[in-house]
Amino acid sequence: MTKGSGRAAVGAAVACLMTVPAAAQNGQPAAYQAPVISDTGKLAGPRQPLFFRHDVHAGQYQIPCLYCHATVAVSSAPGIPSMQTCFGCHQLVAGGKRPFGGGSTLSAARDSAARAAEAAEVRKVQAAWLGKKPSEWVRIHALPGFVRFPHMRHIKTLGTESCINCHGDVRAMSQVYQVATLKMGWCVTCHVQRQVSRDCTLCHY
Amino acid sequence: MDRRRFLKVVGVTSGGAAALSACGIGPEPTEQLIPYLVAPENQVPGTATWYATTCRECAAGCGLHAKVREGRVIKLEGNPESPINGGRLCSRGQAALQGLYDPDRVTEPMARGQSGEWQKLTWDEGIARLAAKIKDARGRGIVFVTGLETGSFGQLVDTWMREIGGRHVTYEPFAFEALREGNRLAFGTSAIPLYDFANAKYIVSFGADFMETWLSPVGYQNGFTRAHAFQAGRDASMARFVYVGPRLSLTGMSADEWIAAAPGTEGLMALAMAHVIASGRLAAVPADAARLRDLLAAHAPGTVADAVGVEARQIERLAREFAASKGGLAVAGGMTAQYPNGAEIVVAVNVLNYVAGQVGKTVRFGPNHALEGAGSFRQMADLVADMNAGRVPLLLVHGANPVHSLPGTFSQALGRVGYKVSFSSYLDETAAASDLVLPDLHPLEQWNDSQPRAGVYALQQPVMQPVLPGTMHTGDVLLRTTGKPGTFRDYVQTRWRELHGRLGRGLAFEDFWTDALQHGGIYRDPPPQAVRLSLELGKSAPGGAKPLLGWRPSPEEPLLVALPSIALHDGRGANKSWLQELPDPVSKITWHAWVEVHPETAAKWQVVSGDVVLLKSPFGAVRAPVWVSPGIRRGVLAVPIGQGHKAYGRYAKDRSFNAFELLGDVPTAYGGRAFTVSVAVARTGDHRRLATIEGDAREQGRGVIEVLPLERAERLKPGQHPFAEHGVPSYAERALEEWAEAQHKKASLGDYAGEHPRWAMAIDLTKCTGCSACVTACYAENNLATVGEELVVRRRQMSWMRIERYYTGGDHGRPVGAVVTPMLCQQCGNAPCEPVCPVYAAYHTPDGLNGQVYNRCVGTRYCANNCPYKVRYFNWHNFAEPGGEWESWPDPLNMLLNPDVTVREKGVMEKCTFCVQRIRAAQNRARLEDRNVQDGEITPACAQACPSEAIVFGDLHDTSSRVAQLARDPRGYHVLAGLNTKPAITYLARVVHGDVAETGPHG
Repeated sequence: MTKGSGRAAVGAAVACLMTVPAAAQNGQPAAYQAPVISDTGKLAGPRQPLFFRHDVHAGQYQIPCLYCHATVAVSSAPGIPSMQTCFGCHQLVAGGKRPFGGGSTLSAARDSAARAAEAAEVRKVQAAWLGKKPSEWVRIHALPGFVRFPHMRHIKTLGTESCINCHGDVRAMSQVYQVATLKMGWCVTCHVQRQVSRDCTLCHY
Repeated sequence: MDRRRFLKVVGVTSGGAAALSACGIGPEPTEQLIPYLVAPENQVPGTATWYATTCRECAAGCGLHAKVREGRVIKLEGNPESPINGGRLCSRGQAALQGLYDPDRVTEPMARGQSGEWQKLTWDEGIARLAAKIKDARGRGIVFVTGLETGSFGQLVDTWMREIGGRHVTYEPFAFEALREGNRLAFGTSAIPLYDFANAKYIVSFGADFMETWLSPVGYQNGFTRAHAFQAGRDASMARFVYVGPRLSLTGMSADEWIAAAPGTEGLMALAMAHVIASGRLAAVPADAARLRDLLAAHAPGTVADAVGVEARQIERLAREFAASKGGLAVAGGMTAQYPNGAEIVVAVNVLNYVAGQVGKTVRFGPNHALEGAGSFRQMADLVADMNAGRVPLLLVHGANPVHSLPGTFSQALGRVGYKVSFSSYLDETAAASDLVLPDLHPLEQWNDSQPRAGVYALQQPVMQPVLPGTMHTGDVLLRTTGKPGTFRDYVQTRWRELHGRLGRGLAFEDFWTDALQHGGIYRDPPPQAVRLSLELGKSAPGGAKPLLGWRPSPEEPLLVALPSIALHDGRGANKSWLQELPDPVSKITWHAWVEVHPETAAKWQVVSGDVVLLKSPFGAVRAPVWVSPGIRRGVLAVPIGQGHKAYGRYAKDRSFNAFELLGDVPTAYGGRAFTVSVAVARTGDHRRLATIEGDAREQGRGVIEVLPLERAERLKPGQHPFAEHGVPSYAERALEEWAEAQHKKASLGDYAGEHPRWAMAIDLTKCTGCSACVTACYAENNLATVGEELVVRRRQMSWMRIERYYTGGDHGRPVGAVVTPMLCQQCGNAPCEPVCPVYAAYHTPDGLNGQVYNRCVGTRYCANNCPYKVRYFNWHNFAEPGGEWESWPDPLNMLLNPDVTVREKGVMEKCTFCVQRIRAAQNRARLEDRNVQDGEITPACAQACPSEAIVFGDLHDTSSRVAQLARDPRGYHVLAGLNTKPAITYLARVVHGDVAETGPHG
């Protein structure tokens, strides 16, 4: 099995499992539509070099987490998508054409400005790929050097949609921020609730 | 008050609470995440990828598996498919990693300027300069010196040298000239056969250190332990091993009997044994051996006994046993083959094998060793003469460091060479004396191939991108210099196309190539080669007694022998801190060289261990600290080779003395180099503390190592326990019972409830030879810091696994021997370290480990105080601090750190946890596949590396596991069992032929 087909197969399987984000469930049956962001300064979380929107990709377009974080189910590290993965779609998808959420009542001028802004971010991705300069993401979720966290064990037990348990519902985050403390007490709380091992050398070695 | 509360109180009152929250262990997480542009194929972040390649640290050519994480190679293990080493690897091979990430590697081409300073060049400039020099010197005597190259690179150099009228000299300081010449004299072929240790039933080694540096140490050690292991029920269980030589080497320590024959007379002894076998018709003596009648008649045991210093009776006994075993194997090498009469001794040993009918059985010509093709010392001496005569306008050096191994003559002669070019990756002595340095890639970054023995076509592939972008494969440099098209990889592939024609077996070339890459090469059984006794033998050269007695050391002055070092080899290992800090398996000394002196000699000279003496030979003088050892013959001194570098990076430079400085440089009759010299010894009055990890030279009957005579071991029945463990005193029995019950109650709570494995280990001391490959494996796997000479002197080394060596006998006329044991955390069931930890950093895991939580540890060191095995190690300094005084991993050495193991910080206690990261990885893998962990699935690094397969790991609660079976073995015992620590490590007593040498006053 080639890598590409493996990833696609996983993606397809996961797409069926995905639940539609809560925001989209009440009201219209239409899929969740990520809001237009006019002031990025108000968003939680660190500003990234590229305004990548999880709410657009994972929320509005329901791209499964594993499409980009492909190794999360098989390895301790989830993997950050390569620029090639981004460009795989964005050589065709220019951005700025998606339906705007929030009962979009923007004026024509503001609507086109927002679309231009989103398209501009996509052009940054394309430029990064063509210029062979990967964007340097600011790390949000980090554990100290003395902690081992095997992602695959958690995905195996809790399922591929369980990412939100620790990372929050990134499908509704325009800019990702840290939701859980990721401190040991927080880890242990969950391990106690689920009656799984709390042995120190489970994570510390 | 419980411990946790105690600490809280202490914390509040003394402000020490900060210590609890200051868990800054390990590198801080990165703040930037930089994605790949294109994700590399076959790389899963967080999961290792393994590549097969070939070790180039010595001429053995062991197969390697390189573990690569996120594009960095972080560990080397043996390739189980390689017939050379069968998945095992020695310390030197594992430390190749440190050569790759050496912080003192040459980063880019450079040349000497007008005033002698180094000037950096671009590769175009460097290659242009090389091409210009070649054009100038073409046809006037260009010489290319390389190490042993048996593959594409060697062929490229050969071809090129033929084209430009130059000469290719292969230089290996240990080139086994005596072995080759001795085989030529005896059998008419200078081939080096395969010695089949695994099927031998009686092994006599005349100085051959086949577990250290002799030919193929990993494979031969593995074969030896297969023959020498005690496996009750097997027909030929436990071959007897006799070691003949002036010094009890690592190899000798495994012997059932050590005979310190007079240096140079080993050949007489071998011939006397052959005499006994032939005259008594004790074996199926081949018919043509009749030609040897005169030769053998001159060497009856009675005739040679005095010269050898061994009773005739003993020689006769050995000969009878050798023949009666019907599977004798005698080998000559090491020290013995570096005497001035080394070749004659090899002839004598060949005669012994031949007379006993073993040539073709345990001595197998056919799968011959590549060292047959190595140059000889004589060629090197000729080169030096040419250099001195000004006949060498251009000298190219690759993979050799002759300025270190020929410190006098070669460096002088170098001054008369027009232009010197080095292709070394490091600024070693030879490179430092060159005019142009064109740094090569490390073998782990290279394409290449080799043929370490007939039938083994080993392939080398780059296992990662070059660490230094400014280095270039010398093969590519040569191709570019000569204007040939293609890369060196293409060159290798072209050669493999030829191989494909011969060995392809109908595969398409692409499949053949991929298959070879995956398996590390192509392995075929070459046809056996029949050899007959040379017609010359018995007639001329060694006929009669004269040549064999041709060399006798001076009786007035002590004879000094220079020993190949298991860690540093000929000195090439000296730039690697793992090897510098690896205690020598015999002396237990790290970081410096020493001179071994017999206790009686030391008493005569009034010197003790650590006294510095001046050793003066006709060729040079060095100052050496004395190490007094019973493992050396009276009147003989021994010094290890490998130290005393004048350059070669921070770990090698200016350390101790260079043993080569004492040796002569005139080739012997067989074209080799004598590693012996008579020396004058003078006291200097200086003294130094040896950087040793030895605690006591004797075991003192503490029950650390148990020894059983074979007769008794064979009679043991399942369920018997000859090593009665000290019982609990009657007055303490009740208290212990109650306590145990309470423990049990506790153990049924929380995580401790239910079924758990009990990880355990069994170590067979009959198999363990003390080679210390496990020690280096532990350094590599567990991010152990090397602390340097000064801290070792202060006993602050961090080696989680150490090999303890104890001498036996030597008093009351009993023979001297030695026993060894690996000492690591015993993972006690009732661990003294655990209850004394105030912060629960040392605690008992549900699966029976003595866990150590580094981020909890506050460094009270109570645990280490309370550990009876002394296997806990404290970080007295911050070894990971970049640029710090005690920095252990200067950039880029830090790239070899195992990301699965925390790097410990100052103030933290650390210890072995049976490679808990490997246990957890196996459990994770099993869980992903919805199954349980299988027996044998988890292999700690030490067990994986062990060339003797002495260490078995597994779950004690699984009664069918290998470790559980071994734990029930009647030979099993626990170290210091009387302390009621209930260790998880079962040692299996060492079994010896004959009497048990007492290990101490209590036996």
